[in-house]
Amino acid sequence: MTDLTTPFLVGLDVDGAGAHPAAAAATGLTPAELVGAARLARSVRWAENAGVTFATFTDALLPAVPGSPDSARLDAVTRAAFVSRTTTAIGLVPQVATTYPEPFHVATQLASFDIAASGRGGWLATTTLTAETADAYGRDPVTDLAREARDVVQAVRDLWDSWEDDAVIRDVATGRYVDRDRLHHVDFVGETFSVKGPLITPRPPQGQLVVLAAAGAVAPSVREPLVDVTLVGGSDVATARAAARAATGPATEPATDTATGGAALAVLDLEVVLDTDGRTASTRLAELEAATPAGARTDWGGAALRYTGDAAGLAGLLAELAASGDVAGVRLLPAVLDLDLPVLARDVLPVLRAARLTAAPRAGATLRETLGLPRPANRYDARQRSGTSRTRPAALPATANA
Amino acid sequence: MTTPPPPHGPAPHAPAAPVTRPHAQVHFGVFFQGVNHTTIWSDPESGSQTDFASFEQVVRTAERGLFDAFFLGEGLRLRETRGRVHDLDVVGRPDAITQLAALAAVTERIGLVATQNTTYHDPADLARRLASLDVLSGGRAAWNVVTTDNAWTGENFRRGGYLDHADRYERAAAVLAVARGVWDAFPDGPGGDVARVSVPGADLRTPRDLVLDVTTPRSPQGHPVIFQAGDSPQGRDFAAAHADVIFSRHGSVLADALEFAADVRRRVVAAGRPEDDVKIFPGTAIVVGDTAAEAEEKERWVRRAQVTPATALSIVGNVWGEDLSSYDPDGPLPAHDPVVAELGGERGSATTGARTHEIARQWRAVAEAEGLSIRELVIRNAGERGFTGTPGAVADALTRWVRTGAVDGFNLSPWIVPAGLDDVVEKVVPALQERGAYPTAYTGTTLREHLGLREPLTRRGARERAHDAESEPALTPVP
Repeated sequence: MTDLTTPFLVGLDVDGAGAHPAAAAATGLTPAELVGAARLARSVRWAENAGVTFATFTDALLPAVPGSPDSARLDAVTRAAFVSRTTTAIGLVPQVATTYPEPFHVATQLASFDIAASGRGGWLATTTLTAETADAYGRDPVTDLAREARDVVQAVRDLWDSWEDDAVIRDVATGRYVDRDRLHHVDFVGETFSVKGPLITPRPPQGQLVVLAAAGAVAPSVREPLVDVTLVGGSDVATARAAARAATGPATEPATDTATGGAALAVLDLEVVLDTDGRTASTRLAELEAATPAGARTDWGGAALRYTGDAAGLAGLLAELAASGDVAGVRLLPAVLDLDLPVLARDVLPVLRAARLTAAPRAGATLRETLGLPRPANRYDARQRSGTSRTRPAALPATANA
Repeated sequence: MTTPPPPHGPAPHAPAAPVTRPHAQVHFGVFFQGVNHTTIWSDPESGSQTDFASFEQVVRTAERGLFDAFFLGEGLRLRETRGRVHDLDVVGRPDAITQLAALAAVTERIGLVATQNTTYHDPADLARRLASLDVLSGGRAAWNVVTTDNAWTGENFRRGGYLDHADRYERAAAVLAVARGVWDAFPDGPGGDVARVSVPGADLRTPRDLVLDVTTPRSPQGHPVIFQAGDSPQGRDFAAAHADVIFSRHGSVLADALEFAADVRRRVVAAGRPEDDVKIFPGTAIVVGDTAAEAEEKERWVRRAQVTPATALSIVGNVWGEDLSSYDPDGPLPAHDPVVAELGGERGSATTGARTHEIARQWRAVAEAEGLSIRELVIRNAGERGFTGTPGAVADALTRWVRTGAVDGFNLSPWIVPAGLDDVVEKVVPALQERGAYPTAYTGTTLREHLGLREPLTRRGARERAHDAESEPALTPVP
């Protein structure tokens, strides 16, 4: 059940030309224009000005269409770090896969990004289904994606806590810059890798970045809920609301990879195609579908709910979802960013703000503050652990199967 | 440990050397290095070593001073002494590419150099992230290529210490071949397809061949600029074959710098490149004062502040292989011989066995002959580094170094963060400009233009091929 004091959340994916696989071709931009700094900064500023709660940066190592310049895309953490200094309020959530990248690098990059973003950082942790991605690493394919995701998210969370908040002491009298007792080897041991730690980067401003993941993507850990915000979908509003209730309900038996529950918040993924540009949404969608390259790798048309229609209808749907209390918010996936975002900014989001269903994030607020999530205690800080029954995390099994 | 120059030897800019490039200009980079004892964190002037604002202040100061480049190092494991995190120096730093992407948003012209290790990064991710920084910064990115084979570092990574010492430059060359393939993959104009990159697993030391489709278009400078910092013969050959800039250690003694430059140019020509194809940027430090005496006094203060009592005991303890923190830093060296222990992270290089005893013997001899305490000895061993004097005298010396062909520019390491660059920008840069030895404005927009570099190595083939069907194909990996 959503905390009534936290406004309904409105996320927006700002990747490239839009969420539809034909968006880039429809927009007609050159690859350099599509991925350049000017367009990136403008898209995110536009979202911030429209009062969007957080922006996500969809990403994949491999192109949607191999060989096609229209599939141009830059690394998501690099993009999010860049716009962290061109914005002041909006949450920034890059997508980073768990399946092949190095957990230590992921932890370092995201911690650094959260420092640059003054605590506005999140992480959309995903799994990589594309078999060819293993070839790009010269490795054998990972078979148990959810288990690998669990280990990577767990290792990253441990590494973010490997520095206590007050590890830097600058004790001139003894010449000590840090108190080494406040830096911790994490000694994480997972199914396919281990990490020693500590991280090279101090604990990020939020302690832990906000972790978002699709329902079922990250297998549960026996140690802690690994996902703060579960992204749910559904073929209709009723199934989406049921998925949201399941995601935030009590955690089910963690031994099963399909287990759900335990997340603080559920956010509904919502594809939007709006009436604009002199055409109805359904006409626009039909044109986009006709222009979609065969075999394009895309999440479009997958788990997300879809809205096709006018702005008033979308505002009504969002108000209905907000009133339901089942979902904490939505992440809007605009079919074509340059066409759908102006309508969202002009005709949809102001209606919700006027009705006090949503609120623009406050400049300087951390993403956790904006989402109503507490700043977590440090798992290695003996003072913060005292009074609980927890033993030292290093002594705990790293996984459900260990 | 490198052999320090003699403390009262020839002044760094004293020897006569012929001026071979009378119109050459001085170039500067700044190395935000942090995590060793050159950074004086204990001074009241010293700000946060973590906050973004400190990095922003340094990079903005450097850009105001028309610097070519801002450098970040990389750490893949915190330094340890005998199993515990080394606590006397600045600890902790950001991921270089992430931090530089944020800094790209608050700067316009300055180059942004990320040190990244070829052993513990996957080439597909690394090439893509460097390309992303290069595109977002409008062609201002560079990669300082470093290698390691250290299994101790590998404990933070999926594959552990998988690489033999002898293979580290082969792996580096293969990673660079992937990167150049990625950076060359997009077509030059509209209409073409994006090329696929393939490199044998045997070259990369990966279990299977690497096959990669690319998403990152080319930046305005074509490729990120390649820096290389290894000083071994293998490292110099790697630089001669692959790099655009060498980040050398030879920045204190002119004769040494000239010798290094001659050696590098020989290797560059042997690699089939024009001799000025690789620029030389030694790391150095600049200390200025209104008078020579004031500058000397400041330099002595810096050297003393860099070697705190605890740091002095730690440095000697690393040679002796034991914890000497209970010793008196103002007293004599230990009377007993060093313990030769297993290599740890702190003692990463060649400090073993007979060499340890030899270093201890030399240090004892010097300390006894000159009557030095532990701390005084460590300060003495650090040597005089870089350039000390009035702004005019330093400007004269820097100009001489560049115009004799010893170097193309200097990478400065400020000892105070974030204000340590102010003197250089406010006093030395104007003095150089008065001498016509420093730019008065950025003339280009890319780092490649700032440094006066030619096209990326693999792009030259593409240009020539348009006119000459016999030349090398564009996507041939760098040999």
